[in-house]
Amino acid sequence: MKKVSLLFSALCLSAGAWAGAADQITVQEPYVRLAPPNAPATGAFMVLKNNGDKDVKLLKADNPASKVTELHNHINDNGVMKMRPVAAVEIKAKGEAVLKPGSLHVMLIDLKAPLKEGDSVPLTLSFDDGSSKTVDAKVVRPGAAAAMPPMQHQGHKH
Amino acid sequence: MPLKIAEKTQERWLAALAALLAAALAWFAFGWQPELPETPLPRAAAPAGGDFVLQSAAGPVDLRSFRGRLTLIYFGYTFCPDVCPTSLAATSEGLKRLTPDEAARVAMLFVSVDPERDTPARLKEYAEFFHPGMVGVTGQPDELAAIARRYGAFYARQAVATAGEGYVVDHTSDTYVVGPDGRLLGKIGHATPPDEVVTILRNYLKQN
Repeated sequence: MKKVSLLFSALCLSAGAWAGAADQITVQEPYVRLAPPNAPATGAFMVLKNNGDKDVKLLKADNPASKVTELHNHINDNGVMKMRPVAAVEIKAKGEAVLKPGSLHVMLIDLKAPLKEGDSVPLTLSFDDGSSKTVDAKVVRPGAAAAMPPMQHQGHKH
Repeated sequence: MPLKIAEKTQERWLAALAALLAAALAWFAFGWQPELPETPLPRAAAPAGGDFVLQSAAGPVDLRSFRGRLTLIYFGYTFCPDVCPTSLAATSEGLKRLTPDEAARVAMLFVSVDPERDTPARLKEYAEFFHPGMVGVTGQPDELAAIARRYGAFYARQAVATAGEGYVVDHTSDTYVVGPDGRLLGKIGHATPPDEVVTILRNYLKQN
């Protein structure tokens, strides 16, 4: 038992040693919006808090539930809402990036199978220093998300 | 004496430099246009709204049959990855927060501007996912274009490699409010939070 826990802490330490930016980032309230029937895509939302002294860029998100995962933003062009991919989401030192409907978000495109309410999707977030972390995002019905109580979710690092 | 002249020359140089800088600044502020908009869309003067007949899974839907109720109209499409779900979820949540009496006086239509992919059956399923009372309708491309123009809504197809089946439809994301007499009263902006939707609808219900 002791050996196992020793091994475990050693693993944690080694992971922490190269976790880098992922270590500074706290992911709050990650969720995936339940997609309407037949919808080929849906969004994932969360608040990324940067507890460190260095700006961090989220470069990529990945998940096993959809074929493609992209970082997107909404642009309001003269009243016309456009959704376009973005190269990165910047999380300022001691600041936060809010990924929410109608704004920056993670897009799950070409869902392999329809997601159900209450399912959990592991989202892997990769940062500009090569570190990454995975958080579990619950599938939430739209509307319910707006009324969701604020919860603290701490992701596990890779 | 020579010192004075030197000072004068320096002053002149400084003045010229300042003028140059001011000109450069003015050019940056007013003349510099680093990027052009992707698809310029025209803007209409005061939209008139008005009646229309479109197709739902249960047959034709005539806007005139909604007389006596406040009718909300949203132009979108079911493949819409995020804009429509964001707006429809917020509006539907607002509708659900009305009292039963108030809710009975409000109807909502989802008009698909993508009839190529949105069949009435697909639209029904989609609209009811957000609100059991929401009615999904669509029609011929030219009919839809004419209706959208009358309401002041715009949409344009854009090819995006990763979008479902190759294209997205950029569109205005306002919800139009039609009065019990069929007159276009105004619009609710994109993704207005549910509580604000409730306040806006109650105001319209009081006045109409």
